[in-house]
Amino acid sequence: MKNFIKITYFLVLVIVFTSCNDSNSKRKVQYMGDTDMYDAVPYETYSKNPIFKNGISAQLPVEGTISRGNELYEYPNTEAGYQLAKDSLRSPIKLTEKNIAKGKELYTIFCAICHGDTGDGLGTLATNEKFLGIPNYKDREITEGSTYHVIMHGRNMMGSHASQLTNTERWQVVQYVESLRADLLK
Amino acid sequence: MQSNTFKRLITGLTFLFLISFNISAQQGDPENGKKLYNTNCAACHKLDKKLIGPPLKGISEKRENAWLQAWIKDNNALRESGDKDAIDIFNEYNGIPMTPYLQLSEQDINDIIAYTDDKPASDLAATTSKASDPKVALGKKLFQTHCVACHKLDKKLIGPPLQGISEKRSNEWLHSWIKDNAALRASGDQDAIDIFNEYNGIPMTPYPQLSEDDIDAILVYTTVGDVKPVEVATVVADIEIATPKSSNKWMSYALALVILILSVWILVQSKNGFLKIAVTIFVSLLGTYILFDSLMDIGIDQGYQPIQPIAFSHTIHAGDNKIDCEYCHSSARNSKTSGIPSANVCMNCHKSITEYNGPVASESEKAFYDAEIQKIYNAIGWDSEKLAYKDNYKQIPIQWNRIHNLPDFVYYNHSQHVNVAGLECQECHGPVEEMDEVYQYSPLTMRWCLDCHKETDVDLKGNAYYAKIHEDLAKKYPDIENWTVADLGGKECGKCHY
Repeated sequence: MKNFIKITYFLVLVIVFTSCNDSNSKRKVQYMGDTDMYDAVPYETYSKNPIFKNGISAQLPVEGTISRGNELYEYPNTEAGYQLAKDSLRSPIKLTEKNIAKGKELYTIFCAICHGDTGDGLGTLATNEKFLGIPNYKDREITEGSTYHVIMHGRNMMGSHASQLTNTERWQVVQYVESLRADLLK
Repeated sequence: MQSNTFKRLITGLTFLFLISFNISAQQGDPENGKKLYNTNCAACHKLDKKLIGPPLKGISEKRENAWLQAWIKDNNALRESGDKDAIDIFNEYNGIPMTPYLQLSEQDINDIIAYTDDKPASDLAATTSKASDPKVALGKKLFQTHCVACHKLDKKLIGPPLQGISEKRSNEWLHSWIKDNAALRASGDQDAIDIFNEYNGIPMTPYPQLSEDDIDAILVYTTVGDVKPVEVATVVADIEIATPKSSNKWMSYALALVILILSVWILVQSKNGFLKIAVTIFVSLLGTYILFDSLMDIGIDQGYQPIQPIAFSHTIHAGDNKIDCEYCHSSARNSKTSGIPSANVCMNCHKSITEYNGPVASESEKAFYDAEIQKIYNAIGWDSEKLAYKDNYKQIPIQWNRIHNLPDFVYYNHSQHVNVAGLECQECHGPVEEMDEVYQYSPLTMRWCLDCHKETDVDLKGNAYYAKIHEDLAKKYPDIENWTVADLGGKECGKCHY
């Protein structure tokens, strides 16, 4: 009987001590997880990086360079730059249904949340009063160039969306915005 | 004589009538004004704070009605006419022209002015005015506007807890610290330098705008306080994790314990040989099962839910406010990684949204969320009062903890799945829009990948990516309509391991 009590006591103790290891905030054991099969030598996109001064791998392009697939945008982020873009900048891509369809897809992701699906300024964030005062496209004198400029640099409380869209994608969005505005002005 | 009096009476009445008419025209309807204000003005103006344009509360006390009418309708024309006030305000706000509002009628503008006049300074003032001592009330209000972003009364936040702070430090020290802590540190004050280092060298914003009385009021408030028993982790603790593991896990543990104790009792006490052998077999089988099960668990992080540096809630952003996943994770379309948004994407909205104004259970919850927004500002050096980035600020990257991590010997590409295949994010990541804290929904094992590749039919038609292979397949196997990913090579080792 003594033996039984001893063993039981031991078992309960073991179970109590091991059962607390149930935290979801830690990773589980990896088989050979410390080898370079699991974590290869190259730095990951968002990993720390001791080579760069600011310690991160995700670097901005070197000053004076642009990443591949992007184009130089020379209109400065000023009121004069805005006016210049409004008057002189025109879309380099053709008006096709494919471009408009792609523009619509991107507009729904990046713009409709504030500007609304039809461009009336009544997006979800506007109707639930998180972001107020979003203009209706028909109330504003906007052109291809000014829309592109605002996507690039932002204007007033709208921030720049250049980091989220590529060059061509921005022009596709512009095309769709123009078509929405034409519909609103009808 | 009589007709003369009558005449006077008539003119008097007409005059009165005209005046009252005039007044009613001037008065305007604040309800309609609020609507117009929200649609036309709120993008650039706040009532009580500078934004792109000046604060508009009580603007009619500063400017005449006629001037305001002219300015709102066409401020460009007003400036060109040489109006000094108009030119000054234009220059003061960096020469950004205000949009002309020719479509607003005179009555509309009066309505807007009625709204800007009526509105109380802030809703906070209304709620706090209930407090008995006016000084405490003032202190509370000031505390909530200036301090709560970084301080709580009873808990450490960005800075130390402030309850009873005046017992720890002298009044004089506190005044000079609050007004300009950098100067105090520069003067070599040891206490100031110590506290600065203790809180990771994050400098506190100086408050030169607070008067001596203001600071006294804040200190009175921190002494008196209104600390209710605060539930410790307002967000973190409340979440019930919907991982596949459920509560009956404990039941099975208890059952296993009972069986084990019973087996031990039989082995030690019983004299029945057959029973002993049977129990031995049973125990070893059970042991093997448990061992196998725990070995199979190695390297599977399903349910992994680390604590993130900012309590970013996908429920609020993707759930309540319906922001598209790809708005922030924009590189999922074009790249291998889905993209952890850089802080400039946060700032697209949080430039304007400086505090949490969704539904809250308690005041501490709002303060908690406000402080989390403040963490973005601290990381990138954004001054939400001046609405500008601080000069020469050393930016600190936000170190998010990675949740979904495949071993490096397997290749995975987001754009292939999001862009080409058109999968919804939720198919692998689960209901992220319902997760306050994100956890790993799928096991991310090879079997899990392959099961999906074997079952999923690829829509080859009308997808440029598959145009060539579709043509070839249609020639070779004209009878087969549906092709799974595995049929197209999605099961070959070298596709993912190379």
